[in-house]
Amino acid sequence: MFAHLGAVAAYARRRGSRDADAVAAEVMTIAWRRLSDVPRDDPRPWLYATARNLVRADARRSARTAAHGDGEPTDLAPPPEIPELDPALDAALSSLSRLDREALLLVAWEDLTPAQAAHSLGINATAFRVRLLRARRRLRARLREASNGSNDETTHLDLETT
Amino acid sequence: MSDSIIVRLRRANPVPEADAAPGAELFARITSLPGDSRLAASERPRRRHRRAIVLAFAALAAVVLASTAFAISHWLGPDLVKPPVTKQEYLAAQKQLTLPPGYSWPTFRFPPDAENSVTTRGAGGGHAVTAAQWSWECYWVTAIRTHDAAAAARAQAALNALLAHNTYEAPAGAPEDWTPSPLPTRPFQVYAHDGGLGRIRAGYRLAAAGDASRIAQSCRVNAPG
Repeated sequence: MFAHLGAVAAYARRRGSRDADAVAAEVMTIAWRRLSDVPRDDPRPWLYATARNLVRADARRSARTAAHGDGEPTDLAPPPEIPELDPALDAALSSLSRLDREALLLVAWEDLTPAQAAHSLGINATAFRVRLLRARRRLRARLREASNGSNDETTHLDLETT
Repeated sequence: MSDSIIVRLRRANPVPEADAAPGAELFARITSLPGDSRLAASERPRRRHRRAIVLAFAALAAVVLASTAFAISHWLGPDLVKPPVTKQEYLAAQKQLTLPPGYSWPTFRFPPDAENSVTTRGAGGGHAVTAAQWSWECYWVTAIRTHDAAAAARAQAALNALLAHNTYEAPAGAPEDWTPSPLPTRPFQVYAHDGGLGRIRAGYRLAAAGDASRIAQSCRVNAPG
């Protein structure tokens, strides 16, 4: 389980956490306290789900703080943004629903199989495959729209159909 | 998965490489915390082995934490307390809770060199509530099997009181380390919002109807002492 600490920190960083190492440490602490809930064969889906909750909770706290801000300086940043992503892709991803985006990123960035990603999201594998298919279509459509908006950049996007 | 969208996303991964494995300090710090009590209760043969590992890491943690006390206490935050506080909580809780006749409070053991280890505030009281609950469950099993109606009624009342006054269920979506706020003055235990508490109540309903099978199972794996 502890061998995945780096992967969990990377997950948190990819989801825009400002203190990914602290999130990862907290995930491991929770996992230690709830060891009987952590799947022994592959704990990653469970660990990522826990990290997701922590990152979101942190984002909500930041948003609340920002909403109630009184102009005093604060070290809390805006809600999570995916760092260092190309703007077109970032915008297209941001336009997706949270679950669609997460379905895509669990497979693409966390390298989970659809079954593992489904487990992490708490849905069955069939539902996940449907969601992933739709998410891919939506992302492709958003990128195509963006590319049409910028006229002659379609070749740059290197899109294919499935 | 070779879909072009997935490929493009993979290429755009902002953190392509995971970091290195955790440092010994973090590992020691985490494993010096109390582990999953359910696991300890349900897997007795493995408990000694795990306890040995925890002891080893707790000893290591004591050395590490002693040298970086300020930094560690800052990192851990104010809701964690050291063993003397936890032990005091456990002892204080014993005065507020009752055990069935013939039962005694199990010794709350900390690793001998773990004076710098920490645990969540209230955990000592929670340990006492859990010990009382398991004791009354075992007492109830015996009462049902010996057809001692008075003892069974006493056990049922004690367990209902524990669930009513000393047990909380975290709200749905609450963080894993949720505690009631403000912190209760009486000892308390917290169940996750995962149906576990409902299963326990169902087991007690069965026992009240004379079916001791569910609480017997709990007694078998959790029997104190």
